[in-house]
Amino acid sequence: MPTLAHYLFVSGGLFAIGLLGVLLRRNILIIFMGLELMLNAANLSLVAFSRFHPGHDGLPGYSAQVFVFFIITVAAAEVAVGLAIIVALFRAKQTTHVEDLDTLKF
Amino acid sequence: MAMISALALEICVVCVGIFLLMADAFYVHLDKRALAYGGIFGLLVVFAMTFFIEPVPKEYLAFYADDSLGIFFKRFALLGTILTLILSIEYAPVVERFIPGSKPGAGLGEFFVLPVFTCAGLMWMASAADFVMIFCALELVTISFYIQVAYMRKNQASLEAGTKYLILGALSTGFLVYGITWIYGMTGQTGLQKISGALLFFPQASQTALLFGIGLVLVALGFKVAAAPFQFWVPDVYQGAPTPVTAFLSVGSKAAGFVVLMRVIEPFLAVPVINAKLVAALQVLAGLTLIYGNLAAMPQTNLKRLLGYSSIAHAGYLLVGVASVGSPSAGRAIVFYLLGYLLMTFLAFLVLIPVAKAAGGDDIAHFNGLGRRAPGLALAMLISMLSLAGLPFTVGFLGKFFIFEAAMREQHYALVAIGVVTVACGFYYYLKVVRAMYWQPAPADAGPIEVSALTRFAATFLAALILIIGIFPKPILQILP
Repeated sequence: MPTLAHYLFVSGGLFAIGLLGVLLRRNILIIFMGLELMLNAANLSLVAFSRFHPGHDGLPGYSAQVFVFFIITVAAAEVAVGLAIIVALFRAKQTTHVEDLDTLKF
Repeated sequence: MAMISALALEICVVCVGIFLLMADAFYVHLDKRALAYGGIFGLLVVFAMTFFIEPVPKEYLAFYADDSLGIFFKRFALLGTILTLILSIEYAPVVERFIPGSKPGAGLGEFFVLPVFTCAGLMWMASAADFVMIFCALELVTISFYIQVAYMRKNQASLEAGTKYLILGALSTGFLVYGITWIYGMTGQTGLQKISGALLFFPQASQTALLFGIGLVLVALGFKVAAAPFQFWVPDVYQGAPTPVTAFLSVGSKAAGFVVLMRVIEPFLAVPVINAKLVAALQVLAGLTLIYGNLAAMPQTNLKRLLGYSSIAHAGYLLVGVASVGSPSAGRAIVFYLLGYLLMTFLAFLVLIPVAKAAGGDDIAHFNGLGRRAPGLALAMLISMLSLAGLPFTVGFLGKFFIFEAAMREQHYALVAIGVVTVACGFYYYLKVVRAMYWQPAPADAGPIEVSALTRFAATFLAALILIIGIFPKPILQILP
């Protein structure tokens, strides 16, 4: 029977993988995938916390569950805008690598 | 007299935005600038409505705070958006050159409408008292800023700035959400009031996890307000973005970030063990931001980039205020500073846009000899720069003075010392602009600088306010929350 700690470890792992992906990978699309992974890590631990800490009435905490829906929706909006910007960037520069973003330099 | 609920204000702003989008879609032959004038008019009406507010019903208070701080920042957001739209009208020819379109003015409509939606997000942020609401409002602001920063699709600098802002903004969202998760896990609540209750009820509720959560939220808000060491996106994004968006980003986004920061840390400051650590963290952030922002601004030659670094430096002074929030006068000092920051930053950008348009670039060198070419513009820029630097008899000086006073009361002597030294650095780089305007010869081929009547009116208004509030701050201080 998995406990709260198991879920939190998986969620922490997802967050770490996402963060490392953002910091280490050079392709903007992969970086973007890492960012989405970080949001999903938060979703997983929110649902786990709400399931394992029921309120006074014995039901799972509903505010976290509602929050998860908002996070999913916002993540979708972010992807829609983000991919549009990346496509526009690719059209202008024929690249999706961060090293090639060097127009603005000190 | 008919009274309206504060909840209606944001709904009205969103309706104005949707109406303008519809007008853009259905009246094909409309001059797009009419949309901006419509937006300014609509927001002015909403601004007038903020003076006839009745308290919201009790059921809403758990996630919507309509206290005087919230109402003040709603007015602040509306004023900022109106000024942004004035800047956008002036800047429209530049945008038009850099967006693909078969007809003249195609694609310009959204440039005037997006700030209106951002304004609704900023207003919701001003009242958000629940982490779900804070998250949604923050994302409404951030996502619409992604589009605005990357708006000029044929300009590589704008696209690049948009991509950088997208990645770092989304990263800070990830930190924010994960931090909120841990705060929720330890307290079982998302509403700030209920969190405060839960914290007082179980003061020992696993401190490490709670501190981890607050730390992540602090990192995310540090990104939003441009605090060092999370400031590295600021110079690039500020330089690459369309100039009106830069102005809006530096004022609106920062102010909303500080409101949320003040609201979020309040419940945690009530717990003595967390209080000490949180204040220490804020002090370190403030010190780093002050030093980095001011030192890095000194060698800059591009004015937009310089204003980006200056915006980091001002975030540092505001963070000194947030770190001293235990003192009763700190809240008012922060609000006063933000008000002054709005006035002087928008004034600088109101001068920058016509000058950059005439000179073809926004380096400090393009301001050479402005004192003789356009004395009015140069005078406005002079007032703005002196106020940003903090010369007495301007609003910038009083803002810094109140912040330092609050910090002295909380005995943050080291921060005040850093603050005073960095103010001196500030004089150097702000006066570089003044020197270029008055002591450098104008280039031989300099053409005349055209300024629209609306811009001239707005610039006069802001410059007058900077001086009037700087000399007679009493009436303004009385109406601040």
